[in-house]
Amino acid sequence: MDIISQLQEQVNSIAALTFNTFGTLQRDATPVKLSPNYPDPPPAPVPPPDDATKFEDQPKLMSAALVKAAKQFDALVAALPLSDGGEEAQLKRIEELQNELRQVQELYSQAADNCLNLKKPD
Amino acid sequence: MATATYPPPPPYYRLYKDYLQDPKSAPAPPPPVVGTYVCFGSTYTTDDILPSLEEQGVRQLYPKGSNIDFKKELRTLNRDLLLHILELADVLVSRPSQYARRVEDISLIFKNLHHLLNSLRPHQGRATLIHILELQIQRRKQAVEDIKRRREEAQKLLKESLGAFEAQ
Repeated sequence: MDIISQLQEQVNSIAALTFNTFGTLQRDATPVKLSPNYPDPPPAPVPPPDDATKFEDQPKLMSAALVKAAKQFDALVAALPLSDGGEEAQLKRIEELQNELRQVQELYSQAADNCLNLKKPD
Repeated sequence: MATATYPPPPPYYRLYKDYLQDPKSAPAPPPPVVGTYVCFGSTYTTDDILPSLEEQGVRQLYPKGSNIDFKKELRTLNRDLLLHILELADVLVSRPSQYARRVEDISLIFKNLHHLLNSLRPHQGRATLIHILELQIQRRKQAVEDIKRRREEAQKLLKESLGAFEAQ
């Protein structure tokens, strides 16, 4: 995939990581204690063992993923091949190349002509 | 379950009844659309140019100029984005009801990022064109070289075989 599309994909994935991070943290956080007078809730039963990642690790993992995605974006930006001086320089180069192509095309058709018609090569 | 039938074909076919006998009796095809047109309720334009951010009502965060340093601006926007995400996290901890402005700022940064990337596409198109032209020039030069080489080889072969023939 070309570099600009990769950059666009990276921007979208940063956005996805952001809203997934906030959504997960808001949904799964433990409740806040409103006043010291309220009793603590009874300890919950042992969570089923299929809960592989405990909730305490989630913020660390998710923020690490966000930072990694941002660094990946910077790396992609550094890899952009923007070496030229601007639109005019590119257009001038295109014109030069078109002229050269016309000359080379002329040479080629002459050479092919000579070859097919068995003319003497110069 | 009720299913809708396909719409009927447009009724213009009746106008072309005598087309085989007299091609001029039927109307000419309509000319191609120029400018803006409406399709299924929304307006489209035939002039495919990227509209600037102001035209879409979005504030432009990177400096306007004729030659923008894309890499620098992209990196600046990336840093700004991360700072705004952290700010949103802080706001959610301290004053959760004031998330709206921060979310708006973050979406503004995303819009600017995508607009910058889209404005790189014409540059990419021109670079692709340059690359294709260079490839074509190289291929034709190669072909000229090949033709010359083969002709020389063929001539050498013919001379050799002529020599061998006369030596008999």
